[in-house]
Amino acid sequence: MTTQLNPVDYAQSIQYQLAGIVNPVPVYALFNRNFANQEKFLTWQLRDVHQPVYTGQTQNNKGIDTPIFQVSVFAQDMSDSFNLSNDILQSLHGYSGMFGNPSTSGFWVSKIDAYWLYNSYDNELGLHQVFMDCTLYVPA
Amino acid sequence: MALINKVLPGYVATLWCQTGATPTPLTPTQLETWGDVDAIVGVSAGGLGGGGIQVPVEAVPSFGADDAFAAYSIAGQRTGAKITTQNQVTSLTVTAPWNPADTAQLLIREDGYSGTIIRTYVVAVYDGTNTVAYAFNARIGGMQWDMAPDAEGKFIFTIHPVGSNEYGWSNS
Repeated sequence: MTTQLNPVDYAQSIQYQLAGIVNPVPVYALFNRNFANQEKFLTWQLRDVHQPVYTGQTQNNKGIDTPIFQVSVFAQDMSDSFNLSNDILQSLHGYSGMFGNPSTSGFWVSKIDAYWLYNSYDNELGLHQVFMDCTLYVPA
Repeated sequence: MALINKVLPGYVATLWCQTGATPTPLTPTQLETWGDVDAIVGVSAGGLGGGGIQVPVEAVPSFGADDAFAAYSIAGQRTGAKITTQNQVTSLTVTAPWNPADTAQLLIREDGYSGTIIRTYVVAVYDGTNTVAYAFNARIGGMQWDMAPDAEGKFIFTIHPVGSNEYGWSNS
């Protein structure tokens, strides 16, 4: 029998955790071109909030939630984008423990699987980019 | 009440079992009598509840009877002959998302280590109004806990029906 955590808690915890890792680099929940004139920054998006459902009429007969948040790292300097991404990898990949602010919406994750997808460059914005997926395994 | 008359998705099926460490399983007559089976099936599946508990399984596996026959080759005939023989009741290998404190899973764990406890199980199929029930008496064997790291932990066990005539179909 499993419960579903509120995605708002996920969002607040992702923001809290990422901001703590890359401080003082700004972290935003969604991309906005107005931010693109900053030297380096992060955005993130949450997706795949999903618990597998099992048979029967009992709503909480489900598996664990495995939400994924994508992190997009932007930097005018390529090495900055790689180093910020490395900071996230080193901090989150394989992490097990409290995720987010423990005194508010933080929750316990059994494991985080961080996956560097690819790096890129946007000639129009003049920004190097690195995209990463982080899967949370959440017992609840 | 009417027998369900529609094709149903697999999600309508649930598995229930008697409570108590040393249950008294239903008799063959009771197993095919909804008025006896309904106490094991919970209200959420159209039963009365009170005498049973839901086993939280991922999916209700195939149940029924195994195939069994004798084959003969007869000289002079173009094909051989098959004669059905007494077949065995199918064992149900069940996967449950493991919750160490789940009451039903704890009961089944005790049954598995005992090896002798016979308990009545019911597969209930519920369409929101009516229920079809397949009730049978069984023991538990083959318990395993699978903690593969990319999903929830699984409690896997096999329900071995005692066979003979200790099963029955009924409906609300």
